[in-house]
Amino acid sequence: MLVVRAINASDLDALYGLASQVGTGMTTLKPDMKMLGDRLAIACASFAETIAPEKRDYMFVMEDTETGRLAGVCAIKGAVGLEEPFYNYRIGTLVHSSRELDVFTRMETLYLSNDLTGSTELCSLFLHPDYRSGNNGKLLSKSRFLFIAQFPHLFTEKLIAEMRGYQAPDGSSPFYEGLGRHFFKMDFHHVDDLTSLGKKSFIAELMPRQPMYVAYLPDEAQEVIGKVHLSTAPARRLLEQEGLHFEGYVDIFDAGPVLQARVSELRAMRDSMPAVLDAGAAPEACGDAAQAEPYLVSNTDLKDFRMIVTSANPHSGKLALDDDELHLLRCHQGDTVRTLSLNPRKHPHV
Amino acid sequence: MYVVRPVEIADIAALEALAAVTMPGVHTLPKTREKIAASVERSIASFAAHVDIPSEESYLFVLESLLDKSIAGTAAIFASAGSNGTYFSFRNDVIQQVSRDLNISHSVHALTLCSELTAYSQLSGFYVRNMEQAGLEAALLSRARLLFAVLAPHRFGDRFFVPLAGITDANGQSPFWDALGRKFFQMDFLDAEKVIGGARNRTLIVELMPHYPVYVPLLPGDAQAAMGQIHPSGELAFNLLTEEGFEADDYIDIFDGGPILQAHKHALRSFTGSLTRRVVAGVTPSRTGLKVHYAIASGAERNFRAVTFTCDALEAQDTVGLPPELLEALAVAEGDSVICVRI
Repeated sequence: MLVVRAINASDLDALYGLASQVGTGMTTLKPDMKMLGDRLAIACASFAETIAPEKRDYMFVMEDTETGRLAGVCAIKGAVGLEEPFYNYRIGTLVHSSRELDVFTRMETLYLSNDLTGSTELCSLFLHPDYRSGNNGKLLSKSRFLFIAQFPHLFTEKLIAEMRGYQAPDGSSPFYEGLGRHFFKMDFHHVDDLTSLGKKSFIAELMPRQPMYVAYLPDEAQEVIGKVHLSTAPARRLLEQEGLHFEGYVDIFDAGPVLQARVSELRAMRDSMPAVLDAGAAPEACGDAAQAEPYLVSNTDLKDFRMIVTSANPHSGKLALDDDELHLLRCHQGDTVRTLSLNPRKHPHV
Repeated sequence: MYVVRPVEIADIAALEALAAVTMPGVHTLPKTREKIAASVERSIASFAAHVDIPSEESYLFVLESLLDKSIAGTAAIFASAGSNGTYFSFRNDVIQQVSRDLNISHSVHALTLCSELTAYSQLSGFYVRNMEQAGLEAALLSRARLLFAVLAPHRFGDRFFVPLAGITDANGQSPFWDALGRKFFQMDFLDAEKVIGGARNRTLIVELMPHYPVYVPLLPGDAQAAMGQIHPSGELAFNLLTEEGFEADDYIDIFDGGPILQAHKHALRSFTGSLTRRVVAGVTPSRTGLKVHYAIASGAERNFRAVTFTCDALEAQDTVGLPPELLEALAVAEGDSVICVRI
């Protein structure tokens, strides 16, 4: 069975194994023992609440309890851009118009910005290819929303997620080739590595500070602005279901979209419910097994946060779980858990 | 033999005939009789104007053959570019990009829309019939404008510039325009030049052209290659002007990317190398046999005249002996002063 849980100090080797599978394009998850070790230490301190909320980095792993293997990882960063600048391009509009010539030209522009500084960031989602089936991807991605809904006070109002940008079949980024290469004079993957190492000062030093007209870029570069990597499209859809949307911010290197939401407007904040564990509330016992649907269920313990997906039908504030599930969540009958239907309701207000 | 003199009303028909010849690379000469007449009248008024501060004056000169009194070319100079507004150009900027962390240092070429050439005096409208065969008279025509400025410095600024037409193909398409101006104007290069009348001081330029730097590496190759390149028809003018002391590297035209030559007057040979000499009637017999070509000018306002003359070097003497036909062409008599500069 699969459980998503707060990462702990003993997960380092397995995390390294996962990071080795990631490949390029994910700046926050690289197979580097020192980097991962540092990050893990911060994550543990975050769940233990021994560091300030804006410094926290809550990492979650998906564990296959039969083998003890890690199947995936994801994270929530308390706040971005407070220690080193966080850059994005904001897509803006400039109108060039002359009444005299009867010309009206609407130009898209890219503004280098730090607008998203201080936002909470969803990041580092990776599911091992062996586990890309069923509801696993949803469980992993959406587990973070249940965590936020359980502990909203730990987060800023603004939530963002950077999506990996479009890459050509040969792994090159048409946007980078059309823009960044002229200023950085190095390969996309090299730049990518530098940013993951936190060496970001070169961005300010080398990138043009003035707005850029999109029309100057080659067509191939223009076309991929705001487009996600093919393998990231499903992840984007999941986040959009939860209330995030594209508002015109893109990555400065590959032009991948930044999805944004207000924490208070997340589906998880609206629809997730606490429930008391009660064996008597089993769907069979209530005679409405047909009504059961996949639910995310989590415990309410920050230090050892755990989440599963199960078929359930919580009602009257009660939920029945079997013994295995109770064990996965480290819960007992009578404990309170948080529940959220895995899929958005078609008619949420009915 | 040729003389350069201020344009007169009687020249309008001849100018019209000149303008009727198709001139690739020349987009700025007025074509219709109305417009030609307007520019002639404006020039006459400018020569007659009492000037304290250079402003909207526009001086038009013609190159006239002394043999048959035909008009063989024209050239103009505006007292103050953009006098009705601002003269816009692109400045060539080099932005130094240095990252100490990465040990990277390189420079990025950018174009910045600027108005620095405003209030410079502007040479324009240089055109000589049979450009390919043109000889000394072309140099005379080009230089006469500056000699006029030497004689009447209060009518001009301390700095001068000359925009030269950029590269266009056989259909009049400009690769630089296609990469830049077209995106904002949404029209062909020649159409844009037509609606704007060759001007670079119109409000619509502010309204339509990019205010932020244009990073050259982002432009297509053919547009980059066209930057600062002259249309073949401008080669003669380019050579004459660079010999004069103009420099071409700082500014380019916002429409076709053609070079804009500019200089402080102290860098121009007409200003630094002109000698004032007293006229004596009759050609002085050559003592050295070393002949030097001179442009010789004299006269104020509408009486300004310039001719070429070949004689011994004038540095060591304080007079210049001129033949009767040049005395007549310059409208000077023995004892008058003229300025002479080597061509």
